[in-house]
Amino acid sequence: MHDIAGEAVQFIDLNTMNILFLFVVGFIGGLVSGFIGSGGAFVLTPGMMSLGVVGTVAVASNMCHKFPKAMVGAYKRFKYGQVDIKLGLVIAASAGLGVWVGIKIQEMILAAWGQAGSNLYVSLSFVVILVVVGGYVFYDAYKTQKTGGEEKVSSLALWLQKIELWPMMTFKTANIRISMWFTLPIGFATGMLAATIAVGGFIGVPGMIYVLGASGLVASATELVVAFVMGFFGTIKWAMHGMVDIRLTLIILAGSLIGVQLGAIGTTYVKEHMIKVVMGTIMIIVAVSRALAVPQYLKELGFISMSPTTLNILSKASFVIMCLALAVGSFIILGAMWKAKRAESAAKKAADYSLAEESYG
Amino acid sequence: MKDQKNKTNEVVENEAGMVPFSMSQAAADGRSSQVKRKILVVGKEHAFTPGVIDYAVSLAQRLGYDLVGMNLKPALEQPGKFFSPYNQHLRAKFTKQAREAWEKTKTGLQQQGIRGEHVVRFNDVAKAVKDLNQRVKRIDFVIADVGINSEEITGEIPLPVFSISGYEGEQVMAQEQERSSSRLVGKTIALGLGSVAIYAAVFWNSGSVMQYFTKGGWFAALPVATVFLVSFVHGAFASNLWSCLGIEATKKVQPRVAPRPAARKRPRPQLRLNA
Repeated sequence: MHDIAGEAVQFIDLNTMNILFLFVVGFIGGLVSGFIGSGGAFVLTPGMMSLGVVGTVAVASNMCHKFPKAMVGAYKRFKYGQVDIKLGLVIAASAGLGVWVGIKIQEMILAAWGQAGSNLYVSLSFVVILVVVGGYVFYDAYKTQKTGGEEKVSSLALWLQKIELWPMMTFKTANIRISMWFTLPIGFATGMLAATIAVGGFIGVPGMIYVLGASGLVASATELVVAFVMGFFGTIKWAMHGMVDIRLTLIILAGSLIGVQLGAIGTTYVKEHMIKVVMGTIMIIVAVSRALAVPQYLKELGFISMSPTTLNILSKASFVIMCLALAVGSFIILGAMWKAKRAESAAKKAADYSLAEESYG
Repeated sequence: MKDQKNKTNEVVENEAGMVPFSMSQAAADGRSSQVKRKILVVGKEHAFTPGVIDYAVSLAQRLGYDLVGMNLKPALEQPGKFFSPYNQHLRAKFTKQAREAWEKTKTGLQQQGIRGEHVVRFNDVAKAVKDLNQRVKRIDFVIADVGINSEEITGEIPLPVFSISGYEGEQVMAQEQERSSSRLVGKTIALGLGSVAIYAAVFWNSGSVMQYFTKGGWFAALPVATVFLVSFVHGAFASNLWSCLGIEATKKVQPRVAPRPAARKRPRPQLRLNA
């Protein structure tokens, strides 16, 4: 991400297919975001670029949609009592520093290795982080499901909470009392990841769960606050360079504002560990998608050689699988909501029926 | 004697608008000092549905119970720390309307020798009933007015809750639901139109919009302000849209205590227990 000051930026022409694509992807991205606290951005930016949008405009327009969507989602989940505002703001503060450092690193790599090197760095970060963290989140969700669905605070978090290191902070909604110092790396990593792959939540949410000890519900809801703050300031920076294509932003927003509400509602229907299931699933699928893009950059840097046809196939497969990640995530969410709603109305019917059978003597 | 005194002391609170039993009233009646059993009627409008309150009154008379009427408006609950004068104004308005409506009911009650109390609250149904049950003793069961749906009656409430079905009741129920859902649909459509208007304004003038919005510098405020505006209008539209479609957050209903059937089944109207 570097400034293109002085260059004329081309903005694409919109046709029906573009608009439909952005609306649908926006909706699904919003749905996932409302549910797990982050996501959608990593599909939208490459998605826009595949429509011909210049990279920086894609990032800027995406960010400009991200913070209002996060705001709406955070507000709705706040009404459900799931958001810990204080925790969100504390994490967002250190995330700002992480973003700055992340951008600096990107610029250094760009200068030293060129665009291909930068892309390789981004893709490798994707793969490593998503496989490690996503795998662990998924495994944890699987474990919770096997032991009957009761979420337990991780032993790491319990141990860290016991350490009395001034200043200690108490977070009421998240039900955590922990030293401020332990929140810093979470926020920093979130910011760095956001600057690198545009989704900070993939570290932020697991970090809040496993390091700080928040529940999946509170962590994913609070992440929306972090996303709002980061998105807001990031957008201002990009908008001041005239990089925001408001048309793209508004189309995506049209879909995502509807989707994010549904995702937020969904969290009240399903068992808490479902959030981890969805998150882990998406992260692993995206990791696969990014891994398929790595050979392209290795070839460009001259590390390996590969035929152009293979590369073409890989790059198409990579994009498709990435969209698949979002689609799978949204199916899981909608499926879980559907099941929960049916169980609820079935239970109600059973209760009504059994009462009707009772005879009042 | 002690019971009544405690009740009077507990009850003084400006928000609740409770009309306490006074000692002189009890003495004048010549009744015993023992507290009578009560029926609680709960509704979410400022006035109870006529069919429901009439049934409750006749039931109270037959059983020899007293009546407590509670009008709720959970929408005016203020969970946050921000003081809103507008919210205070709405609360005062609701309380006034509720009291006026109750005055009419009270005349009917007095004619039949039933004592009535009136409460106004701004909590959700479960919390309000639970709290009231702790302050006012001997409430035996609750009759829920038509505006209250079964999801609001959670396991927190330690009393049996009945709603009225049967030809008259259902007619009233259908009317009420239609009215509130048509209001919701109206709001959704209005917000949808507002959203469409904003989008139309941007896209029909996309040329000049793009020119100004990408100028950079202070013009950055333009896209930012636009998305905030869209978030409020379109966001509210989206939220109402899901509500219209019946997709709302759920309160997970816990298994309830076995209810004590306190009323007989009658051909019409009937009391139906909410599970």
